[in-house]
Amino acid sequence: MNKPVRVLVVDDSALMRKLIPKILEQDASIEVVGTAIDGHFGLKKIDDLSPDVVTLDLEMPGLNGIDTLKEIMRRWRLPVIVVSSHSTAGAAITLKALTLGAFDFVAKPKDVSARMPEIAGELIKKIRAAAQSAGVQTQFLPGEVGGKQPGKLRPVAPTHIIAIGVSTGGPNALQYLFSKLPVEFSGSILVVQHMPDGFTELFAKRLDESCPIRVKEAQSGDLLVAGRALICPGNRHMKAKKLPLGNVVLLGDDTPVNGHRPSVDVLFHSVAEEFGSQAMGLLMTGMGEDGAAGLGEIRAAGGFTVAQSQETCVVFGMPKAAIERGYAMRVADLQELPSILQAQCTPDQGRGGDGTRGDTSEVKRATTSGSN
Amino acid sequence: MTGPPEDRMTELRQLFFESAGELVQKLNDEAMRLEKSPGHAETARSLRRTVHTLKGDAAACGFRELSELAHEFEDVLALENTAAAASVPEIALRAADVFAALLEAYRTGTKLPSIQSLRADIARLAHPVPGGAGKAKKTKKKAAKITNRWSEYEQLAIARAAATGKPVHHVVVQVDPQCAMPIAGRQMIQFALAGLGEVLALYPVEGSHEPITRIEAALASEKPAEQIRAKCSIPTIALTVRVTPVRIQTLSTTALPLVSGADSARNDEVAPSEGGAADITADITSGIASKEAAATGEPAVAPAMPTGPDNLLRVDAERIDSVLNLVGELILAKSMLQQALLEFGQRFPKDVLRGKFADAMAFQGRVLNDLQHSVMKIRMVPVDQLFRRFPRIVRDVGRHCGKEVELLIRGGQTDLDKSILDAIAEPLTHLVRNAIGHGLETAEERVRAGKRPQGTLRLGAYHQGNQVVIEVSDDGSGIDSEKVRQRALSQRLLNAEQAARLSETETLDLILQPGFSTAEEITELSGRGVGLDVVQSVLGRLKGTIQIETAPGRGTTFRLRLPLTLAIIRALMFRVEQRLYALPLNTVAEIARTVEGDIHQVEHYDVLQLRNDVLPLLRLGSKPPSGPERARRKVFVLVINSGERKFGVIVDGLEGEDELVIKALDDQSITTDLVSGASILGDGRVVLILNMIALMDRFTRGRTDANGPRMDGLLSSVVPAASSIESGNRRARGAAGGLA
Repeated sequence: MNKPVRVLVVDDSALMRKLIPKILEQDASIEVVGTAIDGHFGLKKIDDLSPDVVTLDLEMPGLNGIDTLKEIMRRWRLPVIVVSSHSTAGAAITLKALTLGAFDFVAKPKDVSARMPEIAGELIKKIRAAAQSAGVQTQFLPGEVGGKQPGKLRPVAPTHIIAIGVSTGGPNALQYLFSKLPVEFSGSILVVQHMPDGFTELFAKRLDESCPIRVKEAQSGDLLVAGRALICPGNRHMKAKKLPLGNVVLLGDDTPVNGHRPSVDVLFHSVAEEFGSQAMGLLMTGMGEDGAAGLGEIRAAGGFTVAQSQETCVVFGMPKAAIERGYAMRVADLQELPSILQAQCTPDQGRGGDGTRGDTSEVKRATTSGSN
Repeated sequence: MTGPPEDRMTELRQLFFESAGELVQKLNDEAMRLEKSPGHAETARSLRRTVHTLKGDAAACGFRELSELAHEFEDVLALENTAAAASVPEIALRAADVFAALLEAYRTGTKLPSIQSLRADIARLAHPVPGGAGKAKKTKKKAAKITNRWSEYEQLAIARAAATGKPVHHVVVQVDPQCAMPIAGRQMIQFALAGLGEVLALYPVEGSHEPITRIEAALASEKPAEQIRAKCSIPTIALTVRVTPVRIQTLSTTALPLVSGADSARNDEVAPSEGGAADITADITSGIASKEAAATGEPAVAPAMPTGPDNLLRVDAERIDSVLNLVGELILAKSMLQQALLEFGQRFPKDVLRGKFADAMAFQGRVLNDLQHSVMKIRMVPVDQLFRRFPRIVRDVGRHCGKEVELLIRGGQTDLDKSILDAIAEPLTHLVRNAIGHGLETAEERVRAGKRPQGTLRLGAYHQGNQVVIEVSDDGSGIDSEKVRQRALSQRLLNAEQAARLSETETLDLILQPGFSTAEEITELSGRGVGLDVVQSVLGRLKGTIQIETAPGRGTTFRLRLPLTLAIIRALMFRVEQRLYALPLNTVAEIARTVEGDIHQVEHYDVLQLRNDVLPLLRLGSKPPSGPERARRKVFVLVINSGERKFGVIVDGLEGEDELVIKALDDQSITTDLVSGASILGDGRVVLILNMIALMDRFTRGRTDANGPRMDGLLSSVVPAASSIESGNRRARGAAGGLA
């Protein structure tokens, strides 16, 4: 990269407008071209400065972050990195920003003096990834997600264990995928989504409210049941474990793996070990290569492995790493994934689509692609 | 400009304290606005946003206590009902105080103030005790009971045990706080339980980091509860033991097999188990979630006005000072050039170059003048920066004194040098408190006097010449000068003879003396022992003056006159005993020419008959020996008119006027307070700038000093010091330090 990434910082805190550029100036490949105190000025400065990436605070006077983001998406489709606060309200609005097309988010820097390298590393990585991403994809944006009546949980043992690892771009991709899975989906899904503490709970709730299957932030001892996805909470590791009375997830506080906690590799490793051929590993959009090695382990243990295609990834990092190492048995577009998952959990593939309401064409397509 | 990390952090901290101070001020403003229009949604939102920003900033800098406290407050403000609660403004004001105290403690590295009471206030805001919140509380309680921490798997195990007919007990052991080894204690309890039956669950789990204060277990056992209790009651470990039957709420009574094979009961219609634990929890939590969603479903905010130009630069005051210093040096350089040009002109009066030089000099002079004004302008900030603190102060003090006060502010846009503004913050606060505490009457008294029950306090600022005038006036009872005189006498600030001599103005000035107080009782607000003399001394330092105007029954006005800036003054230079001195030009009302013979003695004083007035005089040098020579000796009298006082200063000769760049003097070179600074002229001569306030002080003291006045030779002691400066004037120029 010869030309530096041009970044605009939009934040109403004077401190942040100083701090974020300071964090970024450590990296020569990034240049902060300007700062703006609120949305109105932000939009004006985008016009004037045409930055490559925008960091956006969501709580601002004047034009607030969400409205600013909508406008950025409407007019420029620039990659936006949301700088999110730690409160519950902050998490909610951040997730909303992601559904509106924000590229990714970072938590507001905390205790900078002690954690500078860590904070800087994350922000710089995300800005670089944002600059390299091929613009904002709008096709998988869920838009405003409607509420649904949560279905009753069926205490049924799953037919398969599906472990999913995902990072940047994950919230929208998972939203898309889960919304296409039927309520009677027979697999049990375990998800490691790289996301900080405090966001995963709300994220799981959002998915639960908008998707047919049940979604829950995992707690140690939660059972793996059919038709439910467990999302690993931020800042913990999640493993699957067989116990005499049923299968559970266990959460742990081991040191980060690949710089991540939760780490996809930790989950994949445990799933490969415990479930072997009954496991399926799916590595989706995200930067870095967390999960690639684990996907290899699932494959080696006899499980089925899939990586999301470059075309549909927001960041083609983790899937790429797995594909390059030959760990992915299939590379699939995001649109194909729901049917692949269903096909995988349907031993007799002919019966898979029977009686399912809704997207029958999707299922049929899946059946054919699944049998290939 | 990537500095070492420590530098970066220092800079960041500085920025934090600055912006956090502003945020706290904003919080004050918003809280007061909310108090005036309760429940105003936009104000409430903006208040919350302010707390939010403060939280984020504090977290970034690692100031945990502040950030957490702000976080708690923000969360509470986000709750639908609390935002409109009547107590929000009050608590927000208290929060602003606590935040400010925390900031101060962080900044100075002192002990953090207690935040408990604010925390309690915030908590009360979230859960108002009486009525209303009952429902929410219940739900919470219910949630706590049902989740009971048993995980899904443990619930399954409990259900399984129950299904096989084994009673399951919920054992709660309160750990003795005296227990020295709680981890070992937990182990002992676990052993005891294992001896009684099957331990299905035990919390805290092994190796968890949470403090072990309570051990909870699900125990499947045939043994009677009483026996379980007895076994677990291990002395020194268990304080109390409670054994109750576990309420069965399960996912399913059938065990979940391992992942089922290909032909599992996938299509089996399993009746949804009513009251499945997971669902109950889900219901409760989703209830919370939807509430949150409602709270954060930001209603479309009306497009607000842009909050101000974004191209504001935040610059360290020191940098501007250093520019100003350089400008000062340039002004010196200009004088040197002028001097050189003068000499050149004398030597080559016919040279054409002289005209060219003069033109260039004139041009340079103009630019320099503009430059100086521009730089000084940078240092100028609107007085409003200070005034905006007062609504809060007036409100608090008014409340404390039980007086209703209306505050009227005008002239907030008047600019003033930042360092002066900072310095007068405290005296001004003092004056305002004083005005409310002592100046204004209570509502009853006011009504009796035929006034509105609500007192009025005015804060005003305006420019006058190259001075800024700041006024604090109240419409209270005014100051009774006779009372002041009596008081001063009783406090032995002066004797009866002196008291009788005092003019009205001079009497009023007595209240500025140390130790003077007219209030019947000392109030907490106006401080004990600390009186208006603080105001006086600060103003003295700033080369400002204070003037008191009062009308009995109608109110009092304190008028502070301050120089626009401390750095450069227009001064009149004069000679006393061959030495060069200067006084700020604006303090000199007129210059009178006279001879020693016209100066008369009245009761030890030198006085001069000036038109119809008798002007008391102050002699800076020593008195010339008497004789016929003396009577013819020409002198000048500078008529000083400062505030309401008028006196003359006898000097030997005038030197002209010029812009002087004031260099601060350190205490070692000058030991008298009569000199406030020095400056260096273009020809290298040093001029000492006299301190008006100190001069005036001498004057007053001289008049009232019982031991006889000493009105001459005031500067004799200064002379040796001044020569030491002159010898080292290069040094003085190099040490172009601060602005006094």
